[in-house]
Amino acid sequence: MARNPILALAFVAPALLFLAAILVWPLFSAFLLSLQNVRGVGTSGQWVGFENYRFIVTSGAFWDSAGLSLIWVLANAVVQTALALAAALILHQKFPGARIARTWIILTWIVPTVVVVMIWRWLFSTSGGMINPILVQTGLIDGPVGFFSTPETAFATLVFINSWRWFPFIALMMLAGLTRIPSDLYEAARIDGAGPVRRFTRITWPLLAPTLTVLLIIGTLLSFNVFDIVWLMTQGGPAGGTRTLPVLIYETAFRSYRMSEAATIAVLSTLLLMAFAVLATRSLARAGDER
Amino acid sequence: MRRSRTWTLILAAGLAFFVALVGLPFWWVVSGSFKLPQEIIARVPTMIPRSFTWQHYDRLLSSSDYGTYLVNSLIVSSLSALITLMLAIPAGYAFFRLRFRGREALYRAILLAYAFPSIVVLIPLFTMFARMGLVDTRLSLVIVNVAFALPFAIWMLRSFFGSIPKEIEEAARLDGGPPLTVLWRIMIPLTAPGIAAVAIFAFVTSWTEYVFASVMILSDARRTIPVGFSGIIGQYQVDWGLLLAGASLAVVPVVIVFALIGRWFVTGLTEGAVK
Repeated sequence: MARNPILALAFVAPALLFLAAILVWPLFSAFLLSLQNVRGVGTSGQWVGFENYRFIVTSGAFWDSAGLSLIWVLANAVVQTALALAAALILHQKFPGARIARTWIILTWIVPTVVVVMIWRWLFSTSGGMINPILVQTGLIDGPVGFFSTPETAFATLVFINSWRWFPFIALMMLAGLTRIPSDLYEAARIDGAGPVRRFTRITWPLLAPTLTVLLIIGTLLSFNVFDIVWLMTQGGPAGGTRTLPVLIYETAFRSYRMSEAATIAVLSTLLLMAFAVLATRSLARAGDER
Repeated sequence: MRRSRTWTLILAAGLAFFVALVGLPFWWVVSGSFKLPQEIIARVPTMIPRSFTWQHYDRLLSSSDYGTYLVNSLIVSSLSALITLMLAIPAGYAFFRLRFRGREALYRAILLAYAFPSIVVLIPLFTMFARMGLVDTRLSLVIVNVAFALPFAIWMLRSFFGSIPKEIEEAARLDGGPPLTVLWRIMIPLTAPGIAAVAIFAFVTSWTEYVFASVMILSDARRTIPVGFSGIIGQYQVDWGLLLAGASLAVVPVVIVFALIGRWFVTGLTEGAVK
């Protein structure tokens, strides 16, 4: 195996330097900002040490948002994984048009989020939207529902919309994992007389588990950071019912003009996520060693 | 392969569910964009349009610079995809093949790039770009989009390289090829579907990006589709016809791109796969 540090440096350095300049350095600046008391964009402030941290950690708004973010991540993980797994298992089968279905399922993901928001705002609306009439006709509800009028329904609707956008992407990654399972395993199981359910629980599920774990970790990071769909749809409302941490950061920075407090919340959320990511990747590495 | 009748039925039902889940919203939007205003807001919505009109498209194209937004989006997304590939291919290859100290630690650190809310870097980046005179340029968007697509691109490419049989690469090396030649002549052609998948990933990430584009771009002439589109929402709160036409036009270009190279995305993903 090649051991050539200069070549390795030449290959890796451009990408790493780029990431350092565009992500790591601004992240560090955000940390510095959190130690000051800057209010508007571009104004200056004094150093206040960890004063902001004490203020934020004792404020109810931060913990409310952190709680919402936790529920948001969990709900999205459940809905997305369920939809994606079902879709992947179907797409893995042979049927006429399978290839077309595999390509075009991704449609929901390649559309700008602004457009996704507009589409669903229209479909869920009480004038001309399709969802209400369908639900009324099938007798599931008595009259039109304002999906964005209560915190709970708004939150649930947003989880649905975000999962709708992301599940095909995850489904394709799962499909990738499924195609790696050797087909002779299934053949052998069939000869032994194992039915579809048994083949799933004994072969598909255990062999797909590592892929699912990786996707759950990535999915958690991605959905935690979802901002545009929530902001464009509800602006964190009604009554703060959808104000997850990224929304709170944006509001604090660009609505209340408290840059340093926003940076503090951002640093705290980053620490939470990093802790999760490190623990998750470590347990993953350990699982990999055992195999 | 034979399936029992029950399983065929379950499969068909599941398939129908997903076709409806993904397809119906798009059908309603595109067909709605050709309906007359009174039909769009009818109490009982129509599945198949009863009226036909171009009026929403006429108004959209005459009242906004939608064409300009489209071109801007295409420029930004294509450049982002290209630069992402140029940075990610060597890095992905090095993380896969070349041995150097701190390789695994660095590789894991790269994925941590997704472990913070991206709005965190919005304010510092804006200040930085302002100092460099990059605010209100399409280049600023390219830079940001590459940064967000790059970690995942490197990660995907590393596993694509890993899926190539070792013997092929060994043989190429024994023929006396230096690593760069091996990468260029052997590895890149062999991982072409995977590279296409990464390119599409970067393109789409850029195509759909809204938050940074709305902050970094100030002048109308440099807006991308997402921001231009949200401008229409603000201007005409209840003009659904205009919005549906705008949505349809925002979908068409990606659909064309995807019709041309979309199947590579799937083959690329399934051949390389997640490790």
